[in-house]
Amino acid sequence: MRVMRAEPGRFADMTTRSVGRVGRAYDLQLTVYAALLAAFGIVMAYTNSVEAGTAALANGSILQRALMWTGIAMVVFIAMTAFDYRWFKTLAWPIYFVNVGLLVLTLAIGDGVGGSARWVSIGPIQFQFSELAKILMIIVLATYLGNREGRLDSLGSILGACLLMIPPWGLVMMQPDLGTSLVLLSILAGMLFMSGASLRWLLAMALGVCLAIPVAWQFVLRDYQKDRILSFLNPAVDTQGAGWQVHQAQMTVGSGGPLGVGLTNGAATRGGFLPVQESDFVFAVLAQELGFLGALVVFILFMALLWRILSCAWRSRDPFGTLFGAGLASMILIQVFVNIGMVIGILPVTGIPLPFITHGGASLISLAIGLGVIQSINLRQHRAVW
Amino acid sequence: MSDSHFTPNRERDRRPIRFLVFGLITVLVFGLLTTRLAYLQINSGPQLAAKAEAQRTAQVALPAPRGLIYDRKGRLLVQNVATWAVKVTPADLPYSDRDAVAHRLASMLGMDASEILTTLDSAPGSRFDPVRIAQDVPQETARLVAESSDALPGVEVVVETRREYPDGPLLAHILGYTGPIDEGTYTRLRSQGYLADDLIGKTGVESTFESELRGTYGLELVAKDATGKSGDVLSNVQDAVPGASLTLTIDRTIQREATQALKWGMKAAGLKRGVFIVMNPQTGEVLALVSLPSYDNNLFARGISNKAFAKLLNDKNKPLTNHAVQAHYPPGSTYKLVAGTGGLQDKKITPSTLIRTRPYLKLAGAKFWDWNRRGFGMCNINCGFGNSSDTFFYQVAGMLGADRLAYWGHMFGFGQRTGIDLPGEAAGIVPSNQWKVDTFGQPMFGGEVYQSGIGQGYDVVTPIQLIDAYAALANGGKLFRPQLVREVVGPDGKVIKQFKPDLIRKLPVSQSTLRTMRLAARATVTLRHTYNLVDMPVKVAGKSGTAEFGTRDAKGRLPFHSWFVGFVPKNPYKADFTKTDSPLVFLAFAYDSRTIGNAGTEIAKAFIQLHFHIKKDYLNRDLLKRGNHYQSN
Repeated sequence: MRVMRAEPGRFADMTTRSVGRVGRAYDLQLTVYAALLAAFGIVMAYTNSVEAGTAALANGSILQRALMWTGIAMVVFIAMTAFDYRWFKTLAWPIYFVNVGLLVLTLAIGDGVGGSARWVSIGPIQFQFSELAKILMIIVLATYLGNREGRLDSLGSILGACLLMIPPWGLVMMQPDLGTSLVLLSILAGMLFMSGASLRWLLAMALGVCLAIPVAWQFVLRDYQKDRILSFLNPAVDTQGAGWQVHQAQMTVGSGGPLGVGLTNGAATRGGFLPVQESDFVFAVLAQELGFLGALVVFILFMALLWRILSCAWRSRDPFGTLFGAGLASMILIQVFVNIGMVIGILPVTGIPLPFITHGGASLISLAIGLGVIQSINLRQHRAVW
Repeated sequence: MSDSHFTPNRERDRRPIRFLVFGLITVLVFGLLTTRLAYLQINSGPQLAAKAEAQRTAQVALPAPRGLIYDRKGRLLVQNVATWAVKVTPADLPYSDRDAVAHRLASMLGMDASEILTTLDSAPGSRFDPVRIAQDVPQETARLVAESSDALPGVEVVVETRREYPDGPLLAHILGYTGPIDEGTYTRLRSQGYLADDLIGKTGVESTFESELRGTYGLELVAKDATGKSGDVLSNVQDAVPGASLTLTIDRTIQREATQALKWGMKAAGLKRGVFIVMNPQTGEVLALVSLPSYDNNLFARGISNKAFAKLLNDKNKPLTNHAVQAHYPPGSTYKLVAGTGGLQDKKITPSTLIRTRPYLKLAGAKFWDWNRRGFGMCNINCGFGNSSDTFFYQVAGMLGADRLAYWGHMFGFGQRTGIDLPGEAAGIVPSNQWKVDTFGQPMFGGEVYQSGIGQGYDVVTPIQLIDAYAALANGGKLFRPQLVREVVGPDGKVIKQFKPDLIRKLPVSQSTLRTMRLAARATVTLRHTYNLVDMPVKVAGKSGTAEFGTRDAKGRLPFHSWFVGFVPKNPYKADFTKTDSPLVFLAFAYDSRTIGNAGTEIAKAFIQLHFHIKKDYLNRDLLKRGNHYQSN
């Protein structure tokens, strides 16, 4: 990334290869798994719409919005698949600055709950640019680290990657959005790890982060964020505040049992006790209505999807592809872990959406970008090994 | 692309192991999530489902209608009326909103915000139990509060029944009242189904017969949403069983007559406190029990304000104290019954024994005066009791000695609680040598024995003890426990419990001794010691008493209480006191009377005129003037 180069590259590849080869290079499984997860998301949007008391397809219902965003996401996915990902390497710097610009814009004109600035309203649509920031930072970091292939063992590369991450990370923290900033750090860590960077330096850095925690506690974290962490560590203290959500979520999940209570049947049991059931706690509703079995299917789909992303990364002979896959896998894994871990009470409450299932346009769009780029990478590799 | 895929480098070599590690981490993460989910859904599923169920339903107690109270003639003395109450459930009121909600509620209810917060903080029970903030709220206000429920989280308006006492102060000391349960009582009674915001009998028979009146609360299962608001009734777990009703021994008409007589006397003599009791000596049933000043128990039933309660508490004349039962006073000459009966039964004197009465007796250099400062010459018991000669009874007391005198006091029921169905009964004091040693470390002096014989000195009795002793004299020696309740009647109208006369003891006194004392009591009237009482068509035997207390004024005079306790024969117009058939014994007590004559006697006469519908007025209003000139003992 030191030198920005236009890379017309092998733009002709697609045209020269036969349709059959293209078809084989396209990872149909990945698309299927993603589509199935998105279908789960639409099903949950349906059940939440019904439970919110609106007609399923009424104007502005959760389902209607979910269908709209899924449609947009499909278009984005197809567009990204068609788009030669290598242009990203060329456009990495502009992308980076646009990303930072959008985050600054969010801070400037964004709305949020209780004095925070999380999303920008464009007409009736609210868009959370911090969601987009995740995927854009994966592109930027993959480009940066990919260009330093061969020198990734040095401290300089690690520090460079960290320096790139600090401005967007800081802007997200200022919103304040602890969850997304945690995801950004996980993406950074995952990509550095998968790039093959020196474990010694990575561990040293991890140690540094640990040492920074007391400082962050003192100066960075807001009171409500501290409350959430404390209530997670000692849930008995406060069953009405942050701990209340965790308690309610666990009761909701538990009451699902092995087979679930059936779609739209959960509300009678929850009786409005579970807050934000359509967003961050949507998995609780899923586990309640579809049961352990349904949740297990979702887990298997996530694992299969991660497997397909990682195998793309593995196969890619372009380090960008490897690193992009690693970043996307890290993002999805950390979000699934933190979100579901929060719902089932093994992690503190943070506002991290569950990929595909949580209803949020930005989250779905950034996943569509990520998966589209993965398919684009798949289509544009020379298979050397297999 | 200049990047070489084939140039070996260290990071590329590391990638396979990094991919492996990443894969392992992924498997580990999903393994952990699956394990925890299986634990929640399969292992703890049923419990968590039950918890969720418990959370969205609530078992709500269904108060049972409280039993009613009737007088002996079946007149209703208590009603249950529906009222609006405002309650707050602390758990549903976010702490940050507490002050704002308290202020808003206070302005609606016309209360102090601090009073609301104090009530919330001092409420028994958990944060999930509703706390009653205001009772008996006007309907307008109730609607206003209910409509503002969005701005008043945790606040609810409920319909409650409360007690209404149509006669108010007339029966307040007997009926008592109900009020919110206090923390200690709640802790004790919660296992019996009492609620943290329950109403409970606080005093009077409302308190002594609480378990009979309360009934059994029912239980219903109610749906509840996250805001804690109760919704539809899902099922009736247990029906409420109404409380049993009470039939009192009290006759409201006699209670009114007694109250009217006492009020007249207190007004005429400028008295601050008084007691009037009417009993049936054949059964121990209390027909009327008046303690003045009284208070309106409806104030408490409606939820008394702190200010009004403080005013009642700080009143010098203690309107909240039932002076007939909860306070004791020196009995004065009425106590001569004990010395006289004891002297006769212990054979220290016979009915015909003559004792020289004098202006005073001298003992250890001190003079013990007769009340008229002259004496009555040679006197038998009839003359001594009839004229209420102090020097006569000094000598009888001296013959008996402190311990025998105390023995007879105890036999008549003094120095111990009678066991009347009212809370907080006082025991009184009967001084004996042992008592004196226990209390002051030395035995009784001779002069103290003299004093004790005429109901002065250490002697103190409750009015209910005194009337009970004279009831035993009137009925031939049966000391009954005074009773206020005749029957407990179930909600179906069946009598659950009927109270029989409850004998404390048969006095160890011969019938002839008691007859002698009854005749002596009649002599009190016939010797005109009680002035024109003898002129009334209703024939009364009895004893007046004047009991000094406190400290002497500038002229060396002591303030005194005056008593009269008497009874009438079965045929009240025929003066036959040899029989033991008296149906009516009554007692008048005038606190700090300082009247020219005996205020107690005049009050008793006023009662007789009212009760027996005597047209002619026998009342000596002159005797009720203030002035410590005359002391009838």
